[in-house]
Amino acid sequence: MILRADALARQVDYHGQTLTILHQASLSVAAGESVAIVGASGSGKSTLLAILAGLDPASSGEVWLDGQALSALDEDGRALLRRDRVGFVFQNFQLMPQFTALENVMLPLELAGRSDARAAASAMLQRVGLGHRLDHYPRHLSGGEQQRVALARAFVVRPTLLFADEPTGNLDPATGRQVIELLFQLNAEAGTALVLVTHDTALASRCAAVYRLNDGRLQREAT
Amino acid sequence: MSRLSLQMGWRLLRRELRAGELTVLLLALLVAVTAMSSVAFFSDRIEQALTRQASQLLAADLVSNGNRPPPEAWRQQAAQHGLQQAETATFPSMVFAREQAVLATLKAVTAGYPLRGEVQLRTQQGLKEGRLAPAPGELWADTRLLQKLGLRLGDSVRLGNVSLCLSAELLREPDGAMDLYNFIPRALFNHADLAATGLVQDGSRVRYRLMVAGDAASVAGYRQWLAPQLDRRTRLEDVEEARPEVKSALERARRFLGLTALLSVLLSAAAVALAVRRYLARHWQSVAVMRALGQTGGEVALVWGSLFLWLALVAGVLGTVAGYGVQAGLLRLAQQWLGAGLPAPVLAAWLSGPLSALILLAGFALPPLLALRRIPAVAVLRADMPTSSRSLLAPLLAIVALLGLAAWQVGDSTLALWLLGGLVGFLLAVGLLAWGVVRLLRRVPLSGAVGWRHGAANLARRPWLAVIQIAALSVSLMALLTLTVVRDDLIGAWQKSLPADAPDSFLINLQAPQQATLDTLFAKVGRNAPQAAPMMRARLLMINERAVKGSNYVDERAQRLAEHEFNLSWRAAPPPGNGFAAGKWWPADSTQPAFSVEQGLAETLGIRMGDVLAFDIAGKRWQAPVTSLRKVAWDSFQPNFFVIAPQGWMGGESASYITSYRAPDRDFNNRLVAALPNVTVIDISVIVREVKAVIGRLALAVETMFSLALAAGVLVLWAALAATRDERQFDVALLRALGASRQQVRAVILAELAWLGGLTGLLAGIGAMAIGSLVAVQLFNLPLAPNLWLPLLGALCGGAVVGLAGWPLLRKITRTPPTDILRNG
Repeated sequence: MILRADALARQVDYHGQTLTILHQASLSVAAGESVAIVGASGSGKSTLLAILAGLDPASSGEVWLDGQALSALDEDGRALLRRDRVGFVFQNFQLMPQFTALENVMLPLELAGRSDARAAASAMLQRVGLGHRLDHYPRHLSGGEQQRVALARAFVVRPTLLFADEPTGNLDPATGRQVIELLFQLNAEAGTALVLVTHDTALASRCAAVYRLNDGRLQREAT
Repeated sequence: MSRLSLQMGWRLLRRELRAGELTVLLLALLVAVTAMSSVAFFSDRIEQALTRQASQLLAADLVSNGNRPPPEAWRQQAAQHGLQQAETATFPSMVFAREQAVLATLKAVTAGYPLRGEVQLRTQQGLKEGRLAPAPGELWADTRLLQKLGLRLGDSVRLGNVSLCLSAELLREPDGAMDLYNFIPRALFNHADLAATGLVQDGSRVRYRLMVAGDAASVAGYRQWLAPQLDRRTRLEDVEEARPEVKSALERARRFLGLTALLSVLLSAAAVALAVRRYLARHWQSVAVMRALGQTGGEVALVWGSLFLWLALVAGVLGTVAGYGVQAGLLRLAQQWLGAGLPAPVLAAWLSGPLSALILLAGFALPPLLALRRIPAVAVLRADMPTSSRSLLAPLLAIVALLGLAAWQVGDSTLALWLLGGLVGFLLAVGLLAWGVVRLLRRVPLSGAVGWRHGAANLARRPWLAVIQIAALSVSLMALLTLTVVRDDLIGAWQKSLPADAPDSFLINLQAPQQATLDTLFAKVGRNAPQAAPMMRARLLMINERAVKGSNYVDERAQRLAEHEFNLSWRAAPPPGNGFAAGKWWPADSTQPAFSVEQGLAETLGIRMGDVLAFDIAGKRWQAPVTSLRKVAWDSFQPNFFVIAPQGWMGGESASYITSYRAPDRDFNNRLVAALPNVTVIDISVIVREVKAVIGRLALAVETMFSLALAAGVLVLWAALAATRDERQFDVALLRALGASRQQVRAVILAELAWLGGLTGLLAGIGAMAIGSLVAVQLFNLPLAPNLWLPLLGALCGGAVVGLAGWPLLRKITRTPPTDILRNG
């Protein structure tokens, strides 16, 4: 198992009242497997993703990422784990506007101290079809191109696990389809496990397993 | 403005101040107000002191000031006009006591002195104040002289050939207290003792003043009679033109301080503009809500208008108090020249601070505030701030506000325009340079640590903000570097440029027969005596039969040279160390009329080879053609002369002699003056020390003002950092999500500050280096030797200032949790 979550719960205090956002959520993802998490807005998808990726701690329960219990790690420990094993694709692309496409893709490699960052990032951008736009800034790229840069950034470190948060949410349907094709291709090539958060059931059905989040409760759907 | 909106504005102000939303804005206003009011207080009090003390500064109502004793007829006329009279004779000379000699400015005064103002003394009976003059046989010395000679009241002091009793310490003399260059000790004695001292001889540098006082009509009548009698060596001084040198020096100081204050205000204005933008960007939603709740656009503008009005008042009051403190510090530095007990500042000076806060806010906050009126209620439903059409009103109002401030500060609108234009131009030049460097930075391939590239990219991402920050900080940093490092460098370079055996003493007022005594004194220590050169006071009357007048010249130096006397000498052989730019030296035995003129003087006054010059020397006319132009090394510490005539032609005239030498031992000058009591020895090292002390105090005053400008620069930095806070939080969240450690995040932020500070300091250092080299070459005539450490030192200083000021603001951002990346739209 590359990712295992067991009885995750998340509560927040709001004006003295305790609100439960996530109830006893459990799931597991095998190496190379793809898993979709679907749910309506406000169902707690982002909270679950944040906990699974170690961005946010759970109130109770445990997450094992590549065999490491996240609760045993401090913030920097979790950051290190993300750096080496995890890739992200966000709905809003989240590229650094002050960096060129190439520099954005180089960033995770540089954080890992890789000396071949430039060459590796350049090759990855070639792979996503942006070899001619290496020195362009995000503001000069279309939405689809920006998301392809984001895909290159996610895959360039050869992650064992990729989290994608509504990756087509800000794209028109045609561009969205192209990006998703690319995502699944890269995923297959790299043998990366995928956790895809979406409210698009058609997209979700392309994954091996689908979990539905309803009012903070996670249930696996029959496939 | 309605009561309600005033109340709401006040409530809003208190809440926002507590929440820290207005901190940068308030601080920026405070710095501007402090700078403006301190200069306003300073110049107001000095001006008042000058006006009130004008007649006291003169110690009379009308003074004739010349280099010859006033004719008896002038005294008789004054008596006929029913005027009170007194006379003074002022000259430099050595004062002896306890086997030591010190150079002092001596003033012989007649009974009745001072006619206006009061003398303040400390006698053995205690403090005394009034119209007092020393009795014959007595001497009053100022504190500096007492300290230098280790004197006590009652001691005997020798002036030339007479011994006088030190009967009082001179604490204040009306016409001697305000000379900026007055670092030579002073003493007063009775005019009746003057002749007996034997100090006044041909060619001595003595100023004779005949002072009169009385009712205005009599003074005017006397003036009318006297004016046509004056020759060109005598001038009239009255209350209007009292102490012009002090006035112009203080006026210059005032303008300079005004300029630095203006710099602070300009930088504060940038901080205010940035802070107001940020504030309104964070608060437009509240405005939309108020509009949705039924407030009119005008009412909304009134509430926020009154908030800013209150803010201006708070900053105005606090800044004025701070400004008063700064001014008190400035005046302490200038106390030696101004004396204690300055009049309190007038009301206008108190108002200048709050008013400048109001003008600043009106110029920089009003335009965006007025735009608030146009925010529609429906904006409540939107996520983005509605963009208002950019109007010309904002920059126009801002410029008008600044111009108003500048004109008021300098008290002269044309000059203010020039100053403001110069300042803005300078800031623009620095900004342009910064812009280029920032762009260049982005192109430099930086490999290795992620922090450095990220930091550089962050700067380049908002180039205009980076440029504003760099320009704002580097200007004040450059000024401070120039005032501290470059000043010391220059003094050091100048001292180094002197040969080790350069003369350290000048001897003046020597008489021709005394050369033998000089020879004996030097022979006793086994050295050859220097050959003294004759020196006469000469006035240039004509060039080629055309009268020389100051008004013929535009150049200030030329005017002065044309109006005043300068030193002329005669020689047989050419002066050692002089070169010739044109013509050649006369034969040693020449008796032909001829003049050899210093090249610089010739250029200034427009004298060419072959021109016929006419001089007035002690009332006698000397006319000759120019036969050579000489190049003179003025910093050789040898007696040098503008004009020299052949010995065989002029040699018979009476003159005093001058020479310079290196004192063989420490006591030599005392022995020399004891043997030749009429001569004056000027110890250069003492004067250099005094000049350094004076420059140090002046520099400290200017540094104080530039520190305020630096504070304003730091506020611009803060305002810019605050304005980019949200973007930075996004960056940090993303970096954290991508697996950056805390240390890496810190490195990225610190790298940006380091780039910013480094660039700022580098520009400042290079600027200071350039100024230093320019000053060295242009003013001091020293070889160009730029201090190559300055850019490095500047970069370090810049890094330290930006790091220390910026890090506390950004440290919190490094703790942004990575999960924010998922919430951030």
